[in-house]
Amino acid sequence: MIDLIPQFVFNGLLIGAGYALIAVGLTMIFGIMNIANFAHGEFYMLGGCIAFFFTSKLGFNYLLAVPATVAVVAVLGLLLERTIFRRLSKQDAMSSVLATVALAMILENGALILWGPQPQPIPTGFSPMPVKLGSIFTTEPRLFAVAVTFGALLLVHLFLNRSLLGSAMRATFQQPEAAALVGIPIHRVHAATFGLGAGLAALGGALLGAIFFVHPASGGQATLKAFIVVILGGLGSISGAMVGGIILGLAESLGTLVSSAYKDAIGFVLVILILLYRPDGLFKRS
Amino acid sequence: MALGVAIAAVIVAAPFLLGEGYELHLLIISAIFTILASGLSLIVGFGGLLSLGHAAFFGIGAYTSALLFLKLGVPMWGGLIAAAVMGAFAAFLIGALVLRVRGNRFIITTVAFAEIMRLIAVNSVDLTRGQMGLAGVRAPELTIPGLGTIDFSSKTAFYFLAVAIAALCVATVARIVRSPIGWGLAALRENERLGESLGVGAFRHAMLAFVVGGFFAGIAGSLNAHYMNFVSPDVFAFSVTTTVLVMVVIGGKTSIAGPVIGAVLFTILPELLRIADQFRLVFLGVVLLVTILVFPKGLVELWQRWAARNSRPLPSRTPAE
Repeated sequence: MIDLIPQFVFNGLLIGAGYALIAVGLTMIFGIMNIANFAHGEFYMLGGCIAFFFTSKLGFNYLLAVPATVAVVAVLGLLLERTIFRRLSKQDAMSSVLATVALAMILENGALILWGPQPQPIPTGFSPMPVKLGSIFTTEPRLFAVAVTFGALLLVHLFLNRSLLGSAMRATFQQPEAAALVGIPIHRVHAATFGLGAGLAALGGALLGAIFFVHPASGGQATLKAFIVVILGGLGSISGAMVGGIILGLAESLGTLVSSAYKDAIGFVLVILILLYRPDGLFKRS
Repeated sequence: MALGVAIAAVIVAAPFLLGEGYELHLLIISAIFTILASGLSLIVGFGGLLSLGHAAFFGIGAYTSALLFLKLGVPMWGGLIAAAVMGAFAAFLIGALVLRVRGNRFIITTVAFAEIMRLIAVNSVDLTRGQMGLAGVRAPELTIPGLGTIDFSSKTAFYFLAVAIAALCVATVARIVRSPIGWGLAALRENERLGESLGVGAFRHAMLAFVVGGFFAGIAGSLNAHYMNFVSPDVFAFSVTTTVLVMVVIGGKTSIAGPVIGAVLFTILPELLRIADQFRLVFLGVVLLVTILVFPKGLVELWQRWAARNSRPLPSRTPAE
């Protein structure tokens, strides 16, 4: 049992980094636009399905299909912000959340019509043979996913802290009125936030879809997992979402050692405990 | 008044005109969804609290009633009451957890709770038989001395039972909305700080709306279990919640008639269109999105706009004179 722990930790890191990718966008949209986006996991699902379409239907190389997928879904996110959420920004918060629920229904069932209910693997061109790293067994797609995910999280971190648009996003997050007063184009920041969030979730879908399966009905679960992560890390906190994702991935992976039936329940129980005792997330200093 | 009598006549005549077939089945399902929708409208519409976990209370009611029947032989009458109490109790627990801080945290907790309940139903195989579900949850009989026995496994009898309970639930919501509690809910929805400053307790009012919603959902769950004779973890599915939400929001979330119209319309309409499940949900999603963007108060708002336009020419209505 003990000698299996490094293996479970590695698997937990892989899943956790995927959770973090989805959750970072969700928490940004929440923090900057004050929308609890119940369609966010659908961007993850679309990432997997579109990458599958590019590789197996259009014959793209997987390494080309991943950035193409991210671009398509990011543009979709931009368009949704312009057409739907900008119009709802003057109404009460409930309208926006309801609109995301409607969007999730449309995207999930639309994808089921387009791609069918069969789970399918994305062909990657990587070797399917196991790779041995010390006491850990893994595969090339898994190593690729871990490397790209952690790289993407680092880039997001640098983007938010070093670039002009990133600073504008953080300013809008802290004080929307003041940000508008100093000339930050709030609408463009919102559109960029939605596009970036959607693109990151799609990246997660394209990477994890190569390891597990692509399934049009997987978006709902992804949304729920991302919300768990966001609550663990504190609503609106980006670094919290990154660390929270890793924590949830590790907790679920190690939880499998205790009870595989209830591993998916771990996150939900954590959420209720956190809302009870640490409502601002694990990392907030009081 | 005339409209009310006409509607009542149609409701009573329906089973005799339609027979025991599929059409009557749809009306029974409509009645069960009416109970769910009117309860949810109290929470979402009048209370201004977006609950995305309504399926939890529906499922808790369904399993409570089914397990009481299968394990202890309690007929539906006892199960119905137990289901309502369990639904209300679950709502009370969740409410005590998160209703002090409303908003997004509340929304997310309701979703998480429904998902936990679904996972428990799937994994407690010894009690719930997991995904296989519980079969043989029979409808009750009622013996009235001197009149004989009514067997509710007939669709006609169950129809009248479901419609009567639905009417009772809708009337209760109407009564609550038009009482000081309803005024308090409206005050808090429109301006919480102002409401609180006038002595309207936000937590108390939100809790009341939430518990009543849970109570009704428990009743609907019990009726559904004994009508379908079957319960599976699907009763906790997110799509149950979204379906009821569509009915409430499109019908009109701050009206009494809105959720009823929504429940009947969105049970029957997809069947009339004879479309596959995925197309049905895409259709519902599109209708929901259009409603939110174009007429956020629902179908009832369209009706009111139309009525207002027709009554405008009357000069006596203008207050300027």
